Amino acid sequence: MAAGLRAVRRWGLAVAAAPPRLAFTRSASVVKKANNDQPNWLGVGMAFGTSAALWGFLIKEHAEDEIEYERRKRERRHKSEGCS
Amino acid sequence: MVLLPDESRSLPPPPLLNKGTLWFGFSGWLAALLDNAFNQRPVLRAGIHRQVLLASLGCFVGYQLVKRAEYVHAKVDRELLEYIRHHPVDFHTGEG
Repeated sequence: MAAGLRAVRRWGLAVAAAPPRLAFTRSASVVKKANNDQPNWLGVGMAFGTSAALWGFLIKEHAEDEIEYERRKRERRHKSEGCS
Repeated sequence: MVLLPDESRSLPPPPLLNKGTLWFGFSGWLAALLDNAFNQRPVLRAGIHRQVLLASLGCFVGYQLVKRAEYVHAKVDRELLEYIRHHPVDFHTGEG
């Protein structure tokens, strides 16, 4: 969303002349131009790390679900045949 | 309201590659591509880490949602079959 706003501001400055400011408005936000020349290694590391963690968790969850399902199936069969 | 009650574990888990995983994973990847486009970066080649992260997040969310959907469908089926069992008169197929 911030990217879209950035783009609108860019177009606004290119198309129309800046309107005369009648009142001084204060804003706490500071906008920096994104520097895409150098990789943001921290961001890259965090993104790949999070992805690996997500996949690990997903695969673990799937395996655990399989085991639990088989266990409950066996339990149900054991109970229906009469606990001996 | 819990997303996946305990009895949902009595159902067979959906395969890791299913409609939800594929669709949500794809939409996550597409979101990363759109982010590239809006920031005037090369669409496919930039931000691979972002593409991977959003696609993985999409797969994860898709898997949980598919599990939830299967649980809801199974619950409805169970209630339907229970109802049929309790009201056999309404479901006679006109024999005899």
